[in-house]
Amino acid sequence: MTDALGQVFSALADPSRRHVLGYLSERGSATATELTGELPITRQAVSKHLAALAHAGLVESERRGRETRFHLTPTGEEWDERLEALARHLRERRS
Amino acid sequence: MIHKEITLPSPREEVWEALTDPERLADWFANDVELDLRPGGGASFRWTNGEERHATVTEVEPERRLAFAWDDEGDVEFTLDDVDEGTRLTVIETVPAWSTALDLQASALVHA
Repeated sequence: MTDALGQVFSALADPSRRHVLGYLSERGSATATELTGELPITRQAVSKHLAALAHAGLVESERRGRETRFHLTPTGEEWDERLEALARHLRERRS
Repeated sequence: MIHKEITLPSPREEVWEALTDPERLADWFANDVELDLRPGGGASFRWTNGEERHATVTEVEPERRLAFAWDDEGDVEFTLDDVDEGTRLTVIETVPAWSTALDLQASALVHA
């Protein structure tokens, strides 16, 4: 198993972190404070969990004004499809 | 942030044309495309399923770089580089909050 994959699994191994991912999935984004209100743990613990999730590449943070919001890392599947279509388009033009 | 790269066996000018000629975009990106290729110019993309998106061109560096900002949300940057095999196209899209395949996985894990 690669280190990157190991980090993903260890990030997912914790119930609080899974809860954070579920919340972000439903709401789109959240601040550490909002998440603290959702979970029976301290804000400090929430921040540690967010750091672990970010380290595993599962969430990203973004500053909006004075707050930092977290969201799930997008996978960009639509770009895979578009770029494949572009490659096909160029191939067809050449033949 | 989304970061995608593809190496295309075509010269840079040909890839640039496929990225910027509305008729050619209509063959791979959307079904109907309007594009005013200059910074501040408008772009419209329509798909046969009724979806429609609008954008504003933010950067044009012929055969090198094209960037636009979706009017709803997000910025897209295309960069073209010469490589031995042809052209490497890099796409970067930044969107503050986005629903993804991972959302579904995450919510499946939580609700399982």
